[in-house]
Amino acid sequence: MFTEPFMQRALLAALLLAPLCALLGVFVTARRLAFFSDTISHGALAGVALGFWWGLTDPTLPMVGFSLLVAVAVLWLKENTELLTDTILAVVLSGSVSFGIILLSLLKGYRGEIQRYLFGDILAVSPQDVAWTIALFVVVGVGILTRLSSLALLTASEEMAHVCGVPVQRLNYLFVLTLAMVVAMSIHLLGIILVTSLLVIPPAAARTLSRNFRQHITLSVLVGLVGGLGGIMLSYQIDAPCGPTIVLTCIAMFLLSLAAGWLRSRRNAAQAS
Amino acid sequence: MPASHSHSPADLAVEVRDVRVSFDGQPVLRGVDLHIPRGQLVALIGPNGSGKTTLLRCLLGLQRVDTGEIKLLGESDVRAALPRVGYVPQRLALERSFVLSVREFLSLRLRRTRHWFWRPHRVIDRILSETLVEIGVEPMLDRPLAQLSGGQLQRVLIAFSLLGKPELLLLDEPTAGVDTPGEQTFYELIGEIHRRHQLTVLLVSHDLSMVYRHASWVYALNGVICCEGSPEQVMNTESLKAAYGIHVSPYHHHHVH
Repeated sequence: MFTEPFMQRALLAALLLAPLCALLGVFVTARRLAFFSDTISHGALAGVALGFWWGLTDPTLPMVGFSLLVAVAVLWLKENTELLTDTILAVVLSGSVSFGIILLSLLKGYRGEIQRYLFGDILAVSPQDVAWTIALFVVVGVGILTRLSSLALLTASEEMAHVCGVPVQRLNYLFVLTLAMVVAMSIHLLGIILVTSLLVIPPAAARTLSRNFRQHITLSVLVGLVGGLGGIMLSYQIDAPCGPTIVLTCIAMFLLSLAAGWLRSRRNAAQAS
Repeated sequence: MPASHSHSPADLAVEVRDVRVSFDGQPVLRGVDLHIPRGQLVALIGPNGSGKTTLLRCLLGLQRVDTGEIKLLGESDVRAALPRVGYVPQRLALERSFVLSVREFLSLRLRRTRHWFWRPHRVIDRILSETLVEIGVEPMLDRPLAQLSGGQLQRVLIAFSLLGKPELLLLDEPTAGVDTPGEQTFYELIGEIHRRHQLTVLLVSHDLSMVYRHASWVYALNGVICCEGSPEQVMNTESLKAAYGIHVSPYHHHHVH
């Protein structure tokens, strides 16, 4: 399994993207941005359709571009209208998906490869994607780890972060644009429909067992790593789409963490009484 | 105690001149003047919607003013003064999934402990210890911030602010989520901190009994400063009626809404 080049690429992509998503996911869940990342990923469908429309064989660039556009559009609408965030997200999500579907329906001939982008495909990770993913991993990983404190403070209170000298608006924009890029690049593995799961399930599994933020981040990254790598290998073994397999592997760990959390609370209750 | 006009600008911790703010054409602050001498514990009172929180946000540089001038600790650029300012908000809107411990939260205030992710607990505790004991947050260090009661959270927020060694402490209705016995203990703590650290404290509150006991000067706000003076002067019913627009008797009621 490890000798085939496409598998090596997929494993490397999972090794880099899964922990990155899990790390970002800790902040995504704490800041209630899960629906936001779902909107970004669905926006990528329009980017993929545009790529095909322009005759590109690899639509990664328009996919990332459209995801960034969707993220900026949501931020702009949030800052310049009185609309609730949920309403804005629903409008942008349905608008970009509809645009993408209409564009795809206008293309001549059958477009079977769209399935890859909807559900994820090991074969969809090209050598260029791996190069982009390595660059993204280094820049975003270093960026997040050196700004953990500012991001934690921003998540606790934007006002207190401002008083402590954190550049709140700049960091908010940077975080959202980073999220958009990581989501777009993870679509190869997980697909548009399921990509948010890698941002939500590892932090959720880690939360049950964590007593502080340090544990939460560490466990979340571990769950993401095991889920990403385990899911890819399992998907190869049983010849199933890799997106759903990664998700189910993460969910299995989530269920284990729930059971472990339940056992721990029972033990604590027994010790207390 | 003369608070406002007899002090030179250098003696003032907060100087607000003719500040006006409106939202969608609706004026919220209509020419507010405020002069807080250094070292005083000053209360800003007023009914809901009177602009108290808006004024505080202006002081922190979180709200742009339409016209007027604000100086904090002698700085015309509010942001330049912020490293010397502590701020305690009404509450934190924390998600249950955000499992930041009290120790980790407090560490975020100091440059030396900001990279808590890589530091052992005992090192951080040693650096924080003095403030922890003073405010009484030591037993809570390992608890997640989101699980604290209103009173415990306010203590942690005070400790967080004091770690920055502020010259000016701004508190926005700090007892909003605290029960009545907790309120009294909290205000006593504020009074104690004010005396011990020689801080300037601006306390936004609607709790008139607290104002009467602890503040050295009171501003009553309702879009404009309706009256100012010592607690005894401002607490007469006529002055309060001007600020609150209703009849109140502060000596019999703890809260006026």
